[in-house]
Amino acid sequence: MTVTTWTTRRGVLAQSASMAARSLASIRNNPATLIEFFMIPLMILLSITFFMGGQMMGTWQDFLQYAGPTIVVMGLFFAIPATGLALFADLESGMFDRLTAMPVSRFALLSGRVTADMVKHAWALLVVGGVAFAMGYRAEGGVLGVLAAVGVVLLFMFSASWSMVLAGLTAKSEDQVQTWMVALLMPLSYTSTAFIEIETLPGAVQWLAEINPMTALSETIRSLLAGDAPGGYLLALLGWCAGAVAVFVPLSLRAYRRRLTN
Amino acid sequence: MHHSIEVRGLVKAFGDVRALDGVDLTVPAGSVLGVLGPNGAGKTTAVRVLSTLTRPDAGSARVLGLDVVAQAGEVRERIGLTGQYAGLDHDLTGEQNLVLIARLLGASRPRAKARAAELLERFDLVHAAGRAAGEYSGGMRRRLDLAASVVRRPEVLFLDEPTTGLDPKSRNGLWDVVRDLVAEGTTVLLTTQYLEEADQLADAIAVIDTGRVIASGAPSELKQMVGGPVLRLRPVRAEALAPLAELADRVIGAETKLEEGAAAVPVAHAGQAAAIVAQVARTGIDLVSFGVDEPTLDEVFLALTGHRTESTSEAEVAA
Ligand SMILES: Nc1ncnc2c1ncn2[C@@H]1O[C@H](COP(=O)(O)OP(=O)(O)OP(=O)(O)O)[C@@H](O)[C@H]1O
Ligand SMILES: [Mg+2]
Repeated sequence: MTVTTWTTRRGVLAQSASMAARSLASIRNNPATLIEFFMIPLMILLSITFFMGGQMMGTWQDFLQYAGPTIVVMGLFFAIPATGLALFADLESGMFDRLTAMPVSRFALLSGRVTADMVKHAWALLVVGGVAFAMGYRAEGGVLGVLAAVGVVLLFMFSASWSMVLAGLTAKSEDQVQTWMVALLMPLSYTSTAFIEIETLPGAVQWLAEINPMTALSETIRSLLAGDAPGGYLLALLGWCAGAVAVFVPLSLRAYRRRLTN
Repeated sequence: MHHSIEVRGLVKAFGDVRALDGVDLTVPAGSVLGVLGPNGAGKTTAVRVLSTLTRPDAGSARVLGLDVVAQAGEVRERIGLTGQYAGLDHDLTGEQNLVLIARLLGASRPRAKARAAELLERFDLVHAAGRAAGEYSGGMRRRLDLAASVVRRPEVLFLDEPTTGLDPKSRNGLWDVVRDLVAEGTTVLLTTQYLEEADQLADAIAVIDTGRVIASGAPSELKQMVGGPVLRLRPVRAEALAPLAELADRVIGAETKLEEGAAAVPVAHAGQAAAIVAQVARTGIDLVSFGVDEPTLDEVFLALTGHRTESTSEAEVAA
C-alpha cells in the first residue's frame, strides 16, 4: 500500500460542504425523497386556502393573495425540526463517533447538516411557491421582491435551524427534540401577525406580537412581495437572526464538547 | 523513546458504574495489544477514551506520547478507529463512504476517488462499491468500516470487537487484513471477547473485568495459566469413560479429567490428540464424538478469578 499523507488541509467551509453533500447524497441514491420535502407545506397551502380561505375573506383567491406567503412559510417551518431529529440520529450512530475521532472541525459537522437542510428548504419553497403562483398568487414587488422575500425566509430558517441543532445535541430522546420544536414554534406562530392582523389581538398579546420574530418575518415578506420598503421590521428580523446564530452556534459547540465528558 | 500507548490509573465512571477503575496499559510501537473481557468489562469505554471520544475522570492516557485530553486534536491526526458499531453512513455506497472520509481528511476529489478505489480493491469490496453500505453483509460492512479507518494510514489503530458476529471465514479474512496492517508498522489495540482472536493477533493480552486489568502477558503465558486445549472424548456407553481416561493417560502421560459423558484430556498440540484418537480406534471403544476445544474467555476467567464471566452466569441462571 502506498503511504498516504495529505499535506493539504481543507478549510472549515470545505469540510462543511463535504458533510452537506453527504446528507444530500441519499437524495441522489433515492430521488423519490425529493417529493417528501414539499408534501407537508404543499398540503397546508392547499387545504388552508381552499377549506378556510373562502370563509375568512370571501373568496379563496383574495385569501391566497393576502395570506398565501405566510402560509407557505408556516408550512416550511414544519421541516425545521428535521434538522434536530437527523442530527440526533447522526449522533447516536457509529458514523459520528468516527467523524468525532477524526481531525474534522466540530462546526463543520454541525453546519453540514444545517446546510443540507437549507437546500431541502429552498427546494420546497421553490415548488410550493410555484404552486401558489400557478393558483393565481401575484407579487406586486416582481421578481426582485420575490427573490428578496425568499432570501429573508431562508435566512430566518437558517437561524432557527441552529436552535434545532442545540436541541438535537442536548435531547435525550427523539420525542424531546419534537417537544422543543413545538414549545418554540407554536407560541411564536400564534402570537404573531402571520395569519391575523395585530389589532384583533388582546392588549398584552399585541405587545408580544410586536416584538415577535415571526411578526417581523411576516411583515417583512409582505412588504417585499408588495414592492414596499420593509423598514423597521427587516431590521428587527436581521437582529433576531443574528441573535439566534450568536446564541445557538456557541451553545451547540459547547453541547458537542460536553457530550465528550459523558 | 515512548510507547505508542501508555495508560496509567485510568478511571471513568458513569453514575455509580465505574466502567474503568484504574486501568494501566502499555503498548510498544508496532505491536498488537488484545484487550480481552466479557460484556460490560469496560473495553469500549477504554477505546473511547483513547480515541478522544470520552473524557476520563482520572488517570492519564497517552497515544504516541500525546495526552488524549490536552492534545486531543493532535491525537486525532494520527489514529484510526473502528468502533464496536459500524462507523458508516448506511445510505451512502461503499465508495461514497470512503470518498467522504478522504475528502474530510483533506484529499482533493480525484485523490479521494483514487484512494477509495485502492481501498475497495484491497479490502475485496470492488463488486459492492456502488451498493449502499446498509445493504452489506456483516463481514463486508466490517471490512468497509476497517477501510474507512485507514483512509489516511493511522499510526495507531483501535479496533473494538472487530469480528463479533462474523462467521469463521469472514473472521479469518478480517484477521488477515489486520495482520497486513500490522506488518506495515501500524500499532493496534483491539478488544475482543474471544481468547482465540487475541491469541491469533496479539503480541500481548490484557484481560479486563469490571474496569480493572486482572491479568496481562503474552498469549502463551495466559494460555499456560488456563491450561491450553482440551481433547474431549464422548463414548457411546458411560462405562467406557474410565478405560478411555486410562488409555489417554498412557498414550501422552496426561491427567485426564472425567466430565459428564466425556473424558477431558489436556493436550499440548493437535498431534497428541490424533495419537489418542488413533489408539481409541484400535481398541474398539465406540465414540459418539470427539473434538479439541480451545480454552474460552470463560475458562480464562475461571482460572484467573475463580468465577465465571458475569454474562455466562446470568445465562446459566436464566437457563
Ligand atoms: N454512556 C454510558 N452511560 C452509562 N453507562 C455506561 C455508558 N457507557 C458504558 N457504560 C457502562 O460502563 C460499563 C462498561 O461498558 P463498556 O461499554 O465499556 O463495556 P464493554 O466491555 O465494551 O462491553 P461489551 O462487550 O458489551 O461491548 C458497563 O457497565 C456499561 O453499562
Ligand atoms: Mg463494547
